[in-house]
Amino acid sequence: MNAIEIKNLSKNFGAKQAVCGLDMTVPMGAIYGFIGENGSGKSTTEKMICGLIPTSGGSIKLYGKDHTDAAVRASLGVLIEAPGCFPGLTVWDNMMLQAANLGISDAEREVIKVLKMVRMEGAAGNKYKNCSLGMKQRVGIAMALLGEPTLLVLDEPLNGLDADGMRIMREVFLDIVRDGKRSIVVSSHLLGELQKVATHYGIIRHGKMLCEMSAEELDASCRTYVSLLAADMNRAKMLLGCKYSRVEVDEAGYIRVYDMTTPEEIVTYLYENEITVTEIGIDKIGLEEYYIDLMNGGKR
Amino acid sequence: MENAVKFEKKSLGTRLRTMMRVDFRRMLKSKLFYILIACALVMPILMTVMMSMMDGSVSVNPQTGAETVMEGPENTWQNIGTLPGGEAMGGMDIFAMCNINMAFMGVAVFVCLFISDDFRSGYAKNLFTVRAKRGDYVVSKTIVGFICGALMLMAYFVGSVLGGAISGLSFDLGGLTAVNLVMCMLAKIFLMLVFVPIFTLISVAAKQKAWLSICGSLGGGMLLFMMVSMITPLGSTVINVALCIAGGAMFSFGLGAISNTVLKKTSLV
Repeated sequence: MNAIEIKNLSKNFGAKQAVCGLDMTVPMGAIYGFIGENGSGKSTTEKMICGLIPTSGGSIKLYGKDHTDAAVRASLGVLIEAPGCFPGLTVWDNMMLQAANLGISDAEREVIKVLKMVRMEGAAGNKYKNCSLGMKQRVGIAMALLGEPTLLVLDEPLNGLDADGMRIMREVFLDIVRDGKRSIVVSSHLLGELQKVATHYGIIRHGKMLCEMSAEELDASCRTYVSLLAADMNRAKMLLGCKYSRVEVDEAGYIRVYDMTTPEEIVTYLYENEITVTEIGIDKIGLEEYYIDLMNGGKR
Repeated sequence: MENAVKFEKKSLGTRLRTMMRVDFRRMLKSKLFYILIACALVMPILMTVMMSMMDGSVSVNPQTGAETVMEGPENTWQNIGTLPGGEAMGGMDIFAMCNINMAFMGVAVFVCLFISDDFRSGYAKNLFTVRAKRGDYVVSKTIVGFICGALMLMAYFVGSVLGGAISGLSFDLGGLTAVNLVMCMLAKIFLMLVFVPIFTLISVAAKQKAWLSICGSLGGGMLLFMMVSMITPLGSTVINVALCIAGGAMFSFGLGAISNTVLKKTSLV
């Protein structure tokens, strides 16, 4: 059984088609990285999953049941755009309100537990409006975690978090999916951070799913390359360009050779042409580069 | 091997109880609620005392030279309704405009701000994500609005009694009895169930646009405002109460169903 199964989903806002014929599968126990440009339809899809906006067509199944099923929906945790908190109330009061909404019996204990998880227990007495952006984001995540939801839908949860906050969130996410029953859908533009935890990816563009893959599949798709610095960069690039089919210079000024080769072979070749290699190593393109390439038409 | 995930189905009672717990908690934490109750309590006291002090004073129009003699209240219950033989309510004097029926307008402001706050703060996302049944929201908001309205009416009643006592006004009910007074208050309380669903419907349609819902509710409320004193006179009987209960039930179910449909068919964010 999949946590989310979306078939041919569409959403129109007047004449504008925000989502068109989207298929999406989130396996149970997955941390699903939902990636796309601004305005690609990520948030709209997430809102439809949560039943916050009506669909224009297609079907959404959560754990095999229709997404309008009250029992399934009651086990959702959500953070979309901004945490839904009342600015005039304290963090604690806001959390207690959500605990009451979820019908949690031992609300105080549960609220303390999730606030500790996101390291916000010390700020429970602060008014929400006085919290910093990062603190608000942590409160939003804590609120989504209340009641141990089976499915978490988080839209840009890492925005505004400091390095420690991001590390904590990674630990929290991994802890949630440990039992293999609970799943998380995370959309984020911080692809490097997402790659550290995501087990599956879905890339959306113009309201359509470009591709879906597991982390293993992404790993296999991400090419390795030899990266080097040479004493005479221009000549080195020219010579390597003559021998290898794909040679580029990256933003940091390193020459990248994407062909199947070894650093030893390149060093020997350049040495024979009287060019000294000052630095060389093997590297792999990350999710961010893979995504950018895909958006640019899959050059690599 | 796949792990089965079980989802607990909550009964209507459980769902409503949790929803109402949220709304009551919010109402009791809301400054607006206390301000409205305080206004309902203080307004009749201030008005009665002020009007009693001005009783018999003469004001002269500087342009025409016409003299107007200010008439103060003669009876405590004039804040609640018209005594038999008294002047009919519905004029444009301060007593007609600021009597107990003002509570119906106060509730409009409360319901509109209460509901629009859910949408403005984004809390509606948290609510409706875990609540597929929109009806719970409508029922809970109607009940909370009704209770707020009932409390405002009672506060106004207490304020009127205090104002009358402070000003030394008569507590004589004329040809009426205390039962009529109780029935009048009960009828007004149940009549809230006619007004609150209207305000709820306007508010869920306007969502975060508080100004729109307040204007719509006050406008819509004004149309029905004048009928309040006719349906719930000081000499009310069981029939008046029964009529208000029947009307309240009809409006609550009918408009509640429409509010539910509005929430189902429209975007909640």
